[in-house]
Amino acid sequence: MAVYLFYLIVFPGLLFSAVTGAFLSWFDRKITARVQFRKGPPLLQPFYDFFKLLLVKETILPKKGSPMMFLLAPVLAVAGAALASVFILLPLFNISSGFKGDLIVIFYLLTIPSFSYIIGSLASGNPLAAVGGSREMKLIMSYESTFLLFLAGIIVKASGNFNLYSVISIQQNTTPFIGSVSGILLFIVGIFCIQAKLGLVPFDMAEAETEITEGTFIEYSGPPYAMIKLAKYIMLFILPSFLAALLLNGFTLKGINILWAVLKIAGVVLLLTLIRNTNPRLKIKQAVSFFMIWMNLLAVIAIVLAYLGY
Amino acid sequence: MNEYFLLIFLPVVAGILLFIVPDRLKPVKGIFTVLVTAVTLILAIIVYSYKSSKFGPGNLLPGFLLPSTLNPSIESFFTFQSDALARLIVLFISLFGFLIAVYSLAFRGTGSVRHYFPWFLITLGCSYGAVLADNLLVFIAFWGALGITLYKLVQGESEAGSATAKKTLILIGASDSIMIVGIAILWKLTGTLNMSEIQVSTGNAIACTAFIALLIGSFTKAGAFPFHSWVPDYAKDAPASSSAFLPASLDKLLGIYFLARILTGLFFPGELMTLLLLVTGTATIITAVMMALVQHNYKRLLGYHAVSQVGYMILGLSLGSFIGIAAGLFHMVNHALYKSGLFLSAGAIEQNTGKTEIEDLGGLSKAMPVTFAAALIFAMSISGIPPLNGFASKWMIYQAIIDFGAGAGPANKLWFIWLALAVLGSALTLASFIKFLGGIFMGRRKDEFEGIREVPVLMWLPLSVIALFCVGFGILATGVIVPRIFMPVTGTFEFSGLWSAGTASLMILISIIAGVLVYLATGIKRFRTSDSFIGGEKFYDKAAYPAPEFYKTFSEFRFFRVLYKKAEEKWFDIYDLSRNAVLWFSHLLSDTHNGILSSYVLWVFAGLIIMLIIML
Repeated sequence: MAVYLFYLIVFPGLLFSAVTGAFLSWFDRKITARVQFRKGPPLLQPFYDFFKLLLVKETILPKKGSPMMFLLAPVLAVAGAALASVFILLPLFNISSGFKGDLIVIFYLLTIPSFSYIIGSLASGNPLAAVGGSREMKLIMSYESTFLLFLAGIIVKASGNFNLYSVISIQQNTTPFIGSVSGILLFIVGIFCIQAKLGLVPFDMAEAETEITEGTFIEYSGPPYAMIKLAKYIMLFILPSFLAALLLNGFTLKGINILWAVLKIAGVVLLLTLIRNTNPRLKIKQAVSFFMIWMNLLAVIAIVLAYLGY
Repeated sequence: MNEYFLLIFLPVVAGILLFIVPDRLKPVKGIFTVLVTAVTLILAIIVYSYKSSKFGPGNLLPGFLLPSTLNPSIESFFTFQSDALARLIVLFISLFGFLIAVYSLAFRGTGSVRHYFPWFLITLGCSYGAVLADNLLVFIAFWGALGITLYKLVQGESEAGSATAKKTLILIGASDSIMIVGIAILWKLTGTLNMSEIQVSTGNAIACTAFIALLIGSFTKAGAFPFHSWVPDYAKDAPASSSAFLPASLDKLLGIYFLARILTGLFFPGELMTLLLLVTGTATIITAVMMALVQHNYKRLLGYHAVSQVGYMILGLSLGSFIGIAAGLFHMVNHALYKSGLFLSAGAIEQNTGKTEIEDLGGLSKAMPVTFAAALIFAMSISGIPPLNGFASKWMIYQAIIDFGAGAGPANKLWFIWLALAVLGSALTLASFIKFLGGIFMGRRKDEFEGIREVPVLMWLPLSVIALFCVGFGILATGVIVPRIFMPVTGTFEFSGLWSAGTASLMILISIIAGVLVYLATGIKRFRTSDSFIGGEKFYDKAAYPAPEFYKTFSEFRFFRVLYKKAEEKWFDIYDLSRNAVLWFSHLLSDTHNGILSSYVLWVFAGLIIMLIIML
C-alpha cells in the first residue's frame, strides 16, 4: 500500500511528473521567446508562478455559480492526470510492480483533465467560460476517435497487445515502431492529437486569451488555478512520454541511454512548441474537420499499411 | 420451487387486487406495492443462490391449484427454467422494482397515470414470467403482456401522451407478431418450443429469417436502431418513474436477456449475422447519440441515450467470446443502474421546477445537492469516466473487440472501425451529458429558483442507493463483480487488459482528499465571492450562452444539417415510415372504389379470372 502511494504521489506520479513538466514548460516558454527574439523567463519561473498562485493569491468564488463543483474540478483534473502519469511512467521506467492500466485505461484517464476543466468552467456560471467549455468539448469530440485510431494503429503494430509494457518490450526487442511508413504516419497523427489535448495553438480555442480571455479558466484564481497549472505541467510531461513509449521504443535507463531518453522528450516538446509558434488559432469548425476527416483518414491509412507490414 | 411461483404470481395477483382499491387511497396502494416489491426482492435474493433447474407446472403450482389429471401434452408446454442468466436478471429486476416503487411513493408525476401501482406490479410479475419461461409460447405470452403494461404506464389524457402510447403499443405489438412468426419457423425447424432444447445454425435462409424475426423482437424491446423510435417519445411523455422502470431498466434487462438467449442458446450466428449485428450496434450508438446532442427536452435526451447505450450491449454480445458476452451483460446491468437513476433525477427536477426544457433551468446544484451529486455520478458513469461502472463495462467491451480483431473473418479485420465508433459514441455521450449537467445544475443560478429545496427523502434515497451501486460496481468490477456475478453466467475468462480497479479508485479518492486538504491548508480564509467577470460588461440574460446551444457547430456542417433535417421530418422513424407505407397502400386500394359501376364489374371479372387460373 505504502509503495503504491509512493508511486502515485512521489515517483513517478504527481511530484516527479509535475516537476519535470514544470521544467518542460520553462523549455517551451524559452523556445517560444527565442522564436520571437525575446530573452525568455528564468529556469525557475514555472515554480514561481505556481507557488505565487498557491500561497499568495486570493481565491474568488463565483457568486451565481456552483462553488463546490468549481473548487472540486481542478482537484479531479490533478487526480486524473496523476493516475495517468503512474500508468504511463511505470512501464516507461520498467517498474513492473504496482497497480496497472492498459492503453484503454490510459486513454480514458487522459480525458479526465479536459472533462474537469469543462465542468469547472460551467460551474463558474460565466458566459465566456461556457463558450470556452463548449469549445473544449467540441475539440474532445473531434480528436477522441482520431486518438483511438492512433492507439489502434499501435495495437496492430504490436500484434494485438494493448498493454504498455508489451508495446515497449516489443519495440526494444525489434525496432522502434517509428522506423516504418505506418509508424511515421502514426507519429504525425499522435503529435496533432497531443497538441489538441494540451490545448496549444492551433487548438487553443477553448482558452483563446485574445478572444475570450482564457475562456475555460476565466474565473479561476489562487489555489484552484494553481492546481490547474499543476495538471497542465503533468500533462505536458506525460503526453510526450506516452508518445515516446508508443512509437520511440520508450526509455532504457542505462549510461548514455539516459541522455537519449531526455532528448526524446525534449524533441517531442520542441516539435509541439514549434507547431504552436508557427500556426494561427483555428476555428472550432476547422479543427473538427481537420481531425474528423484528415487525421482519421491518415490514421486509417496507417492502420492498413501496418496490416500490410509497412 | 414455490419461490418461483410466488415470484411470478404474487405481483400479478397483488396488482389485480389493487385495481379494486380506489385511486383516492393512493398512498395505501403505494405502500402495499412497496411491500410486495420488498417481498419479491427477498425472494429473488433467496432464489439467486439456487441451482439451475427446469420445472413444469407440477413443481411450480401448489397442489390445490393443480387439476388432478393434467394432460401431459399441456405439461410439456408449461416449462420454466432457472439458469444462472435467468437468476441474474430476476435479481436485478427485483432491485429496480423495489427502488422505483419507493421513489414512486413521493413522486407526484405518477398522479397522471390511472392505476399506476396495479400496472407497476403486473409489469413486475410478467417480467419474472418472461425471464423464467423456457417454453417460447409461455415466454411470448408474458412478453406480450409487458407491451400492454408499457402502454398503460403512460398518461393517456394529453394528446402527446396518447399519441406516444399508441406509437409504443403499435411498434411493440408489431415486433411481437414478427417474433411469433420467428417462433413458428423455429418450431417447424426443430419440432420443439423449449428454448433449452433448441440450437440452430444460421446457415440457411429459413433459419436466418427466424433469427432476424426474433432479433427484431429483442431490438424493439431494448430499443435498438432502427426500432428505437418509441423510446425517446416514451421518455418525454411518460412520468419519469415509468421511464426509469420500463425503457431504462426492465425493457433493457429483458431485451438484452432475450438477445443473449438468441445468441448463446437458440442460434449459432454465422459470420454474416455477426457483421449485421456489429453494424446495427455501432449504428445504434452513433445515430442515437447524435440525436441526443441536439435535444432540448432533458427527458427526451435521456431517452435517446437509452437507445444509444443498447448499441454497446449488442456489440459486446455479438462478439461471441466469453468476455464479450460478460461485457454486454455487465453493460446492461450498469446501464439499467445509471439510466434509471438519471430518469429518477429528471423526475426530481421536473417535480421541483415544473420545467422540461434545459434552457429554462440552470444553477440547481446548490438547491438540490443530493440529486446533483447522484446525477453527476450517473453522468460520469454513462460517459465512461474511470473508475465508475460505465467505464468498467466499456473497458471490457473494448478489449473484447481488440481480441475479436485477432480472428480471420471480414468483420474481425474491421475491428478498429467498431472500436473507433464505440469510442466516438462515448465521447459524444460525454458531450451530451455536459449539456445535461451544465444546463440543469450548473451555469448561472436563475432568480426564479431561489426558493427550491431538495426533493423528499423517499425520492433522493433510491437515487443515492443507485449512485452507490454505480460507484461500487465500478470499484469492485475486476475483483468481485465480474468474477462472482458474470463469470458464472458466461464461463470463466481472463481479462486481456490491465486495470486494477480497486487500487486505482482508492488512489483517486486519496488524491481528491489530498486536494481538499490543500485548499483547507492554503487559503480557505482568503476566499471571497464575486459576480462573473465578462470583460467589464454588465450581465444581461441575453448574454448567456445556454447549454443547448453548445453543439450547434455540428449542425452547421452541411452533411449533418441534411441528416438532422431528415431526422426532424421523421425519415428514420420506422413508425412513421411504415405508417406512410400503409396509408399509401390503402390509398391505392381506395382509388379502386371510385363508385362507377363499370369498374366494379371489371374488378369482379378480374377476380373471377384470377380464381379460375388458380383453380385450374
